[in-house]
Amino acid sequence: MGLIRAVFDATFRQGGARLKPVGPRWPLLLFHVDTGGCGGCGMELQALATGPYDAQGAGFGFVQSPRAADVLLVTGAVTRSMMPVLEATWQAMPTPKGLICVGNCAVDGGMFTENYAVMGGLDRKVQIDLRIPGCPPSPHDVLEGLFSLFGKRLEENASAGQDEGVGSSSTSS
Amino acid sequence: MDPVAHIRAGAETGTPWRFRLEELAWRDLVDGLKQEALPFVGLWCDGTDVHVLFLPHGNQPLAATLALEDGRYPALSPARAVSSLYERMVFDLYGAEAMWARDVRPLVDHDVWTSTTPLASMPGPAGGHKGMIAYQPSEAFLAAEGLAAGIGPATGRTGAPMHVALTLAGETIVGAETVTGYAHRGMALRWRNSRVDEACRLSGRVAAGCSAAHQVAFCQAIETACGEQIGHEVSQLRVVLLELERCVQHLYTLAALAQEAGAVLVASRCMWFREQLLKEAAPILGSRLLMDHCVPGGVSLRSASDVGDLCTRLAELGEENYSALSELWRGYPGLSARLAGIGILDRAALERLGLDGPVARAAGGDSDCRRDMRMYDGLWRFTAGRHGGSVDDRTAVLLDEVGESLRMLADLAPRLGLTAGGRIDLSYQDGEGIGMAEGPWGRVLYWVRLLNGRVEHVFLRDPSYPALMAFETVLPGQNVADVALIKASLGVNAAAQDG
Repeated sequence: MGLIRAVFDATFRQGGARLKPVGPRWPLLLFHVDTGGCGGCGMELQALATGPYDAQGAGFGFVQSPRAADVLLVTGAVTRSMMPVLEATWQAMPTPKGLICVGNCAVDGGMFTENYAVMGGLDRKVQIDLRIPGCPPSPHDVLEGLFSLFGKRLEENASAGQDEGVGSSSTSS
Repeated sequence: MDPVAHIRAGAETGTPWRFRLEELAWRDLVDGLKQEALPFVGLWCDGTDVHVLFLPHGNQPLAATLALEDGRYPALSPARAVSSLYERMVFDLYGAEAMWARDVRPLVDHDVWTSTTPLASMPGPAGGHKGMIAYQPSEAFLAAEGLAAGIGPATGRTGAPMHVALTLAGETIVGAETVTGYAHRGMALRWRNSRVDEACRLSGRVAAGCSAAHQVAFCQAIETACGEQIGHEVSQLRVVLLELERCVQHLYTLAALAQEAGAVLVASRCMWFREQLLKEAAPILGSRLLMDHCVPGGVSLRSASDVGDLCTRLAELGEENYSALSELWRGYPGLSARLAGIGILDRAALERLGLDGPVARAAGGDSDCRRDMRMYDGLWRFTAGRHGGSVDDRTAVLLDEVGESLRMLADLAPRLGLTAGGRIDLSYQDGEGIGMAEGPWGRVLYWVRLLNGRVEHVFLRDPSYPALMAFETVLPGQNVADVALIKASLGVNAAAQDG
């Protein structure tokens, strides 16, 4: 019984805001690397990926290999042990590619400034395409940041998506 | 020999439960520990002394101190296996050598830091290694024959970075070893001589998902060091933070496990429920991951007087969703079958490694530090659950604990009423204190020494230490496809472990 109910609400997701893809190419594939931090930003990314935010519907997907990725999502303060790993990941990605820093740590080290083991963020070290600040940024902030890549706002898109959803359901019924 | 009496026979120090031993007495202690089951908490160094902490009765601490002689001390790892991780950490940070240690490989220093032994009075020269860090396998691992494989540190998953080196025979794991240190941020150095509020913020960033537990334990340690005690109402607000954290963190873990086991639907239901809880809680408490709400002397919440109502609403949400989720989990085709029988931890391993928290409870161990805590009076109750020790049993225990935490939140609602929260002003005197909390994965314990109004030294015991050892112990004989499941179910957290 529980299963049937769950299948139904996955199929006819009521209540959750339905989003419309914003990117020119769909979907935009993201590869996440934690470079050493508390892991909070990673948890919020996981919430975005599996929680009720409809990141897939908005045209963002998470992949498990850098070879399939368009964008590298970096969280954490970049420890000296992780820097070569980050570089190798970047090299493995096909061009064109982009780099997004999620959370204060990845941008400038945040609470974890430079010391013997930590490089303290990527700011002024490499070219960053987008910075999503916060400690940690909420899934909503991250999604809004990703939307800004295409010059769109999350609210606009959500309302557009919902209108469309209502329209299509009325025509089909 | 009774190790408790043996430690108490040492010279008294400024702290009533810490005694200074001579080197020979320390060696006798190690010998005595081989026969006696005194619960070991951790071992740390402050540059001149090395300290070891035990919990002989409930939450009563007992510590022994030994002055380093030529930068050496007799190791505890021959008597307590998990001590080997602490010894390796002490060597990497201070250069203090553990004599007769079981394992002397580097733990977090992989020769890429700007100085070796960075916390010693005279830090060493910079590591000369360039590029990917080199891994030094143990002899036992080298002896295992088979195909070499590795997982991590960049897997595309969201956990903290670590590497698992494997030797395989077909699909079965023959040998397994972890390489940690990727997430080492130098917490010990950052804590050293930091301001108290700054140190508290840092303790919330040791491991996300356990922030409230870390900060409650840290604040208690500071309060004990100052000889102060917080009021009952404030401690109840802290219980709300701890139980809510347990609830959302367990749901997060369950979602990760379900996802890994291929039950995507169950995973999304868990995450959906978690988001519902957070949507209610975040506006009233002030953040989603419960960071920085517990401060020395009290709590800092966006609107403390609404927390009573919040608990009622969380309990209502629990009533609406929990039983359906639990039913879905138990009835979902193939999910329990996928998890059953893998990653089995037996009682012997449990006791040898000193595991606690839900991992121990799922293997028949009875350890929960909430039992002896005054702030849980009338709230905590003993619940018997599954105790087969497999991944399936652990998920069942996690699921039960979500229900228990929701029940506690429901019980807390009428007690809190319109509590104002607030904080008392502490005057920071020189001294030492200890504080602990039952985090989502077990006991989180802080030892803090205050000097001149600042935090001079911090020792942290997190369940991730024994969890890492349990992970290495349990892997041989398992299928390589189950590594991620076993890792998630044991609460292995490189961020907390690397420090």
